[in-house]
Amino acid sequence: MAKKIANENANPARTKRSMGVKVGRRISNTFVYIVLILMTVIWLFPFFGIVLESFRVETPQQVSYLWPKEFGWDNYYKLFNETDFMRWFINTGFMGICTAFLQVFFILSVSYTLSRMRFKGRKFLMNFMLILGMFPGFLTMILIYKVFAEAGLTMEMAPVGLIIVYCASSGMGYYVSKGFFDTIPKSLDEAARVDGATRFQVFYKVIMPMAKPIVIYTILMGFMAPWGDFMTASYIIHENSEGMNVAVGMYEWLSKTNLNTHYTMFCAGGVVVAVPVTALFLMLQKYYVEGVTGGAVKG
Amino acid sequence: MATVKFTNVQKIYEKGQTPAVADFNLEIADKEFIVLVGPSGCGKSTTLRMLAGLEDISGGTIEIDGEVVNDLQPRDRNIAMVFQNYALYPHLTVFENMAFSLRLKKMPQDEVYKRVTEAAEVLGITEYLTRKPRALSGGQRQRVAIGRAMVRDSKVFLMDEPLSNLDAKLRNQMRAEIILLREKIDSTFVYVTHDQTEAMTLGDRIVIMKDGFIQQVGTPDEVFDRPANLFVAEFIGAPKMNIVRTQLIQENGKYYVTPYGAKMEVDGENGRLLKEKGVTSREVILGVRPEHIALVAESAENTIDSTILVNEMMGSELHLHVRTPDGEKLIARTPTVNLTHEERNKMHTGYPIHLTFPGKVMYFFDPETEKNLLY
Amino acid sequence: MQKLSDLQYLKLTKLQRLWYNLTLFFFSIPGWFLKLGRSILGFFKKVGSGFINFFVDIGTTFSKGNWAVKLSFFIFGFGNLYYGQIMRGLFFLLFELVFIAYMLVPSGGIYWLQKGQWFQKGATIGTVQGGSSYDPIFDTEVWHAGDDSVKVMLYGLLTILFIIAFIYTWRLQVKQCGICMDITAQGKKIKSGKDDLRSLVDDQFHKTLLSLPIFGILAFTVLPIIFMVLVAFTSYDAAHDGYSNLFSWVGLDNFNALFDFGSGGLGLAFGEILSWTLMWSFFATFTNYFLGMFVAILINKKGIKFKKFWRTVLVMTIAIPQFVSLLYVSKLFDDSGIIGKLLLELGWFPQALLDMNINSLWDHETSARILLIVINIWIGIPYIMLMATGILMNIPSDLYESSRVDGANAFQQYTRITLPYMLFVTGPYLLTSFVGNLNNFNVIYLLTSGNPLNTEIGTAGGASIGSTDLLITWLFKMTLGSTDAQYYSASIIGILIFVVVAVLSLIVYNVIPSTKNEEDFK
Repeated sequence: MAKKIANENANPARTKRSMGVKVGRRISNTFVYIVLILMTVIWLFPFFGIVLESFRVETPQQVSYLWPKEFGWDNYYKLFNETDFMRWFINTGFMGICTAFLQVFFILSVSYTLSRMRFKGRKFLMNFMLILGMFPGFLTMILIYKVFAEAGLTMEMAPVGLIIVYCASSGMGYYVSKGFFDTIPKSLDEAARVDGATRFQVFYKVIMPMAKPIVIYTILMGFMAPWGDFMTASYIIHENSEGMNVAVGMYEWLSKTNLNTHYTMFCAGGVVVAVPVTALFLMLQKYYVEGVTGGAVKG
Repeated sequence: MATVKFTNVQKIYEKGQTPAVADFNLEIADKEFIVLVGPSGCGKSTTLRMLAGLEDISGGTIEIDGEVVNDLQPRDRNIAMVFQNYALYPHLTVFENMAFSLRLKKMPQDEVYKRVTEAAEVLGITEYLTRKPRALSGGQRQRVAIGRAMVRDSKVFLMDEPLSNLDAKLRNQMRAEIILLREKIDSTFVYVTHDQTEAMTLGDRIVIMKDGFIQQVGTPDEVFDRPANLFVAEFIGAPKMNIVRTQLIQENGKYYVTPYGAKMEVDGENGRLLKEKGVTSREVILGVRPEHIALVAESAENTIDSTILVNEMMGSELHLHVRTPDGEKLIARTPTVNLTHEERNKMHTGYPIHLTFPGKVMYFFDPETEKNLLY
Repeated sequence: MQKLSDLQYLKLTKLQRLWYNLTLFFFSIPGWFLKLGRSILGFFKKVGSGFINFFVDIGTTFSKGNWAVKLSFFIFGFGNLYYGQIMRGLFFLLFELVFIAYMLVPSGGIYWLQKGQWFQKGATIGTVQGGSSYDPIFDTEVWHAGDDSVKVMLYGLLTILFIIAFIYTWRLQVKQCGICMDITAQGKKIKSGKDDLRSLVDDQFHKTLLSLPIFGILAFTVLPIIFMVLVAFTSYDAAHDGYSNLFSWVGLDNFNALFDFGSGGLGLAFGEILSWTLMWSFFATFTNYFLGMFVAILINKKGIKFKKFWRTVLVMTIAIPQFVSLLYVSKLFDDSGIIGKLLLELGWFPQALLDMNINSLWDHETSARILLIVINIWIGIPYIMLMATGILMNIPSDLYESSRVDGANAFQQYTRITLPYMLFVTGPYLLTSFVGNLNNFNVIYLLTSGNPLNTEIGTAGGASIGSTDLLITWLFKMTLGSTDAQYYSASIIGILIFVVVAVLSLIVYNVIPSTKNEEDFK
């Protein structure tokens, strides 16, 4: 310790040391840049790959080179004219929009209530939902499929059935937005109530205007869900092309039997799906990050 | 413009636990300024929040203007409240913050405008009316919060530690302004604070609470001069009252106390009262406020010969922390006017000094019950 | 085990503290089980006493009540009507009438309950077997509709729930009536229907907000889960789908398969798959966690430019729907995929696999598993990176400043401040993430579909089992297939997944706080 203090005080030694720090930092920064550039390559490679392959004309199969010998829009043309892709895309988009708005209603209702209000059974409700969430959700599909089949909400009507499935129990996913509401001081509610507001007025005049980030986050999550869902969707859709979402529809293209004829088309479809969704996501990235960070910290 | 009456009010958060507020009885007159004061956790805020309707009342009744309000929602009680952390709506401008309650009542715009600008004028925040709370300083936010409560013709005006988020200087300034404000607002005030200075300067009457129980209700003079018990005596006044367990001796019709080996006569009003109450020789807890301790030049029978530990120069007065012969600590305040420069300079650590307690300003408490023996 | 006082603890050296904490940890294990047992016992006691109170309470209301209260024991809502709560009263009355009507009408509640032959081992669910017979007139096979076991069971279940709701409402309205009586006796005013409606946007606003979400959860999660748990006690599978062939109650027979550790036995398969599932969850969670944190620190390092760009690049993997990226990446590593072929050509392909005549990394258990974890890092790092960035920014900078004044270097700052802080804040997240990976259907199914096939087990629970199958993908596969779906096995596995998750959560919740106290960082 004493040696260190001496070192700090001795002027020449100190400048030498700080020079050393500077050089050290430059070296370590170079190292960091190398790692980051390497990561960028690894992370972006599949996306470049899929875009390039989607333009390949010469063969629809997997090949051992990346750069197409012949560029063209053939795969996209076929995608929209020879397959049901357009239908799947519309189905998924429709589900995305409906799910987004219904989920906002369900999730915000539950999370707001659990965060702001104290009532009998609140603790029980939270524990109950926690325990319920430990069951694999897919288990419910067997009965739901049976009932939906009876009601005509499977096969070509699957999008409607799926919207119901995505939304009905979405109240259980209240954690992130409850975390957000918890950060709004309770005295705001109290001030508004003293000012003469009913609980309902507190909700829509005071809290909702402040909840924009979490509303957008919830909408974004709701919109993205149908695009990535394979498990539930494949079960409800039951191999009916009319009712498929993109994930279930395009999954078949990569099966052993279709792979050699549909591979590049899959790439084209992937690009068509990814571009709007990714654009939307990156646009709203800020809100997503807020949600992820807040949610993690709150558990 | 209203009276408030608490009858046996109780608050129990969880069954089987000690109550946060126990058997609270108080009548507040119209236009009175009542201050609830006590250390944190004493139940003062809970009492206020029960009055506001923000907490359920576990037992007893609260009346405003003779009407029992136990089951009324806060919005139906016609009260206004200022919160400790201001609780301004961050998405609304200062104007809309202040107009919020009026908008809920669907008041016409010109009336809203009139009331808000008038209140803003009084509080000196007219130029900030279009700003959002985020762009305001702490003191300005506090004014907006008060303004928001002012624009309403509420029966009772509640304030929950409104000054404790401000720095010391601003706090003093706002305290003075609240006194002025009180003249302008024609309302009953209930003010909660943990700061005895605020309580003493603002309140018509002070309610001192501890562990959910009222310790004393009285005017600032009363609680200062005639504290009901040891707790109140120590709580009111800064620096804290000096406390010593000692013998009270009755000798030849006169009373003496013997703190730290000294023998001091209890005279004046105190001596008279002791006699009147027929107190005989016994053990007491003796209390003396630092400002009442006198410095004496020479050691005598009635002086405590001690040494200075720390000398705090406060400007107008010295705070002397001294060590008695028994090794106990005392604090004495002495005005600087009475001391020459040389005398002050001598009073450094280790300097011997002789103290005495004037008999007419002593406080006597029962060692068992800690109740005041005289009042 | 002697517990040390705080001061005694402080006297210990680092090594001694470690030893002390370790022994404390192991000595406390029996304590948890005791605590767990006690809390379970307490729970049942509470339920039991609640159950008894339920009726005792109602008894006292009856004995103390006036004639209106007593009458409302039989006529729902009578008390409410009597005391002027018209809206509530009519609602209760309607409820009672609907209930009675539903139970009594032909093919109503009682009918369905009888059809279900509930919990009679060996009895079919539904009594009329549908089937086809030869019709000589039309010279074809004609289908005679019978009962559908699923329907019978579902309606039976709904009826039972309805009965429970009926009893609850019965008690509710009687109690309300008793309260009305007391209030009137005190000379206070009773809430009118208008007050009730008004309170729904005010002090009872939570009821308004929660009604629809809770209904959704009850109908689409609770009811199906109760149903599926019941399925574990039946013979519901593809061959007995309830419609063309009734299924029946089998008691605990299905659970016997869990103790079958032979080839194709549920027990063996469960053991194997569970161990891989836990292994996968562990690696997937912690590789992502530490690497993601590392990347976050790299990007946030002082002097690094284009921070936003690096972050956005990584976030791309979150933005792009997983089925696109995962399916594409899985094909990249295939034997005919670009990377797969490149590895072969460069001679980097593991020789051991080539010796076994395997030329795709996906075709061998070990390589497939490793590849899965590696690709999952690609998928998972961005999430952690974002999260860690947020948390890193939240660490008060004066902590770093004071530690620098105290003489800590960059590495020491990381191990003494950053890491403890992160672990402290993200403790609950790690559990969520672990459970999430346990049930990470997408990554596994889209990358490997559970393949390569596990020849040792073959098929179990009506699904052929792969080496990379998780419990959840196995469960998924069990419900597919028109000839070999085994819904009852799926039900058992579903229950077991629940048990695994519940036990893990219990342990974590119990361990984290107790270890937290010993943490030097607060």
